[in-house]
Amino acid sequence: MSHVIKTSLKQITPITRYFYSCGKNPNLHNIRFYSNKVTTAHDDIYKNFTDWETLNKKKKISKPMRAYLERAKEHDEFMKKQQFEYNIGKRHLANMMGEDPETFTQKDVDRAIEYLFPSGIYDPAARPLMKPPEEVFPARKAAEFDEAGRPHHFLFYTGKPNFFKLLYDAAENIQLLQQFEDKVIRKKATPDPNGKLDLNATLWLTKDQLEQLLVEKLNDLEYDNFKLVMERLASLPYSYRIKDFIEKYRKSLSSQKFALEIPKPSYDDQGRAFVTTYECLRKKARGNVTIHSPGTGLITINGKDLTYFEDTQSREQVIFPLIFTGLEHKVDVECNIEGGGPSGQAGAIRWGIAWGLRSFVDKSMLEAMQVAGLLTRDHRRRERKKPGQPGARKKPTWKRR
Amino acid sequence: MFSRNLRNICRRYSQNVTFRTVEASPAQQNDNQIGLFYTMDKNLSKKLFGQGGLPKSYMKQTKTFTETSLMVRQPALDVIECIKSSDLNQPAIRYVLYGEMGTGKTLTLAHLIHYAHDDGFLIVHVPGVSQWLWKVPRLKEMSNSQTREGFVDLPLDAAAWLLHFKSQNQVLLKNEDLKISKEYVWSKRETTPAGAPLADLVEQGIARVKYACDVIDALVYEIKQLSNNNKCKTFVAVDGYNCFFYPRTRLSTPTKKVVMSEEVSLTTSFMEITKNDWKNGVIVVTVEDISVPRDHQESYLPRYLLYKKGFEHLDPFVPVKVDRYSEKEFLTCASYYRDRLWLRGPEQLESELKLASACNPYKFMELCAPL
Repeated sequence: MSHVIKTSLKQITPITRYFYSCGKNPNLHNIRFYSNKVTTAHDDIYKNFTDWETLNKKKKISKPMRAYLERAKEHDEFMKKQQFEYNIGKRHLANMMGEDPETFTQKDVDRAIEYLFPSGIYDPAARPLMKPPEEVFPARKAAEFDEAGRPHHFLFYTGKPNFFKLLYDAAENIQLLQQFEDKVIRKKATPDPNGKLDLNATLWLTKDQLEQLLVEKLNDLEYDNFKLVMERLASLPYSYRIKDFIEKYRKSLSSQKFALEIPKPSYDDQGRAFVTTYECLRKKARGNVTIHSPGTGLITINGKDLTYFEDTQSREQVIFPLIFTGLEHKVDVECNIEGGGPSGQAGAIRWGIAWGLRSFVDKSMLEAMQVAGLLTRDHRRRERKKPGQPGARKKPTWKRR
Repeated sequence: MFSRNLRNICRRYSQNVTFRTVEASPAQQNDNQIGLFYTMDKNLSKKLFGQGGLPKSYMKQTKTFTETSLMVRQPALDVIECIKSSDLNQPAIRYVLYGEMGTGKTLTLAHLIHYAHDDGFLIVHVPGVSQWLWKVPRLKEMSNSQTREGFVDLPLDAAAWLLHFKSQNQVLLKNEDLKISKEYVWSKRETTPAGAPLADLVEQGIARVKYACDVIDALVYEIKQLSNNNKCKTFVAVDGYNCFFYPRTRLSTPTKKVVMSEEVSLTTSFMEITKNDWKNGVIVVTVEDISVPRDHQESYLPRYLLYKKGFEHLDPFVPVKVDRYSEKEFLTCASYYRDRLWLRGPEQLESELKLASACNPYKFMELCAPL
């Protein structure tokens, strides 16, 4: 409440406001500029207004409201229809799969679709899907104004109320944290070292993700401003106090799913740890890779050494995971591989070595390997040649006549 | 500019480093120098290998490095040790260098030739048999032999080889002791009388290309005679010897008939000199898979490459395996390349190169070239 009084005082004397914001960071000035109107329109004040306009007009529906209501009705009907179709479809699918339609969940739907419409398309987004309509069709904003045409949101006239509300909240949090810091300094205490916010494993939402969250279109400048304010907020020493607010707008960098599935190495009769990875595949090559842990960097491929591959690129492919993890002189590698050509075999071995090395590296290296793409399987296959053209994609030379 | 020159000079004469040895005479080298580079005298290398004898890619590299440096390696030292300790009055001992592609058989042979030159041997060196029989241009100068029925001559190649022989043995050919034992009649007007110096015979072959193959035949006979009579000692080196035993060649007669390798007169001459029915000689041959076509490259072992015929021809021989770089040899080679500014970058580069090249000297050289 004190905050409200302060800013409203500022509004009374516009010159002081000018001076106040002048000395600050120009970007912060921006934010303040966005948010200076809002303080007058606080909820409490809002309720205190006498709504004599509405009373006078006797609940006459305004034009935009009418238009909105029409649109909303249309959309609701559409969604209802979609929902109905989805439910029917789900029941059909359940019957097709011979399962109980009542307990048929979305997970089962996905599995059934994958089974009934197998697709080799590389991009998962392009594969056939059946999802509830609220996931497929983008969310729409609910009515932003009442029947009298008066907006609910105090930032309605900015055009992007949710976004500017976010900036406003961020700026307010900055102020609060600064006040708190002043208080702590006055008490001569030090900030809690354990409370430090760890932002290494996460990233700010991308523009698309933020747009989805706010249900508003943003331009690049606005997104930059968002990042600027949030960076500033996160860099404050007491930012851990508003951890929830910050983490709402961050996304984790990499999933930790490998931590659970890493196999424990077995031990052979000489006491050496070894891990065997089966089904190493790329293109048409299939094989398995065994990694022995205390080793000298011996690489055996089908009984030969690295000279099994004649070209440099394939050799580089095979040694890359070893060099990346720095274990090239610490482990022995043994591979059996068949099918395909040199590059496919080398790629399969590369994946197999990287996959097996998970058991011998620490967590940070695991994440680095994940980021480097060593643990990603390459599912691409040779594309078939199409009739009427010389290759898979290649078209005949264009000739006017 | 000055500082750069100074730096270059310092680098060039930095003999005081771990990868070089100042011992430039192969006869004096011993196990302490294994893996170290020694620099051959510029004039000498031009004299010995100016007409061939070093691989093409290595020649390019010597030009870039402005010096001919060879690594002292175990196989060469072993052979030198054997030659030193063997009795030359016994029939000639044959050494066969074998090994994978790119491990340095030819350079080991070059090292041995350097030794032979320093030790006063008469050098009979064939730099590349495959250039005569297999890796030939489409239109090769050839003619039917005048003196022997059913044989094919390669007069230009023979003359080029005589030139090579002459330049390698410049000093020894001036020796008056080397005289030929019998008279050779080339045509009605051209004869080489008995008692003429050996150099005359060589000159005859170079001047009259038509008779070059016959001259080589005569030369081989005379060299064997001279060696038997203790007039000189002879070092025979043949690179890609197995090419003589691969049945076909890429030569074809004007009637499109494919020439068999035993039908080439040069083959018979050099088969003659690699027999061990003479003394005062050392014979070193290399067998390599790349000098024969792809269909016969499955193994690098002498028995496979020489076939039964060649193996029996050479039979009591000393096989010497030329292996890939050992750990130490690899490191000295890498530091040599670094010294020549041929290899740059962080230290980790070497372990990666070592893995990628699998310690194969040629592959290592190839990988370093674009770095």
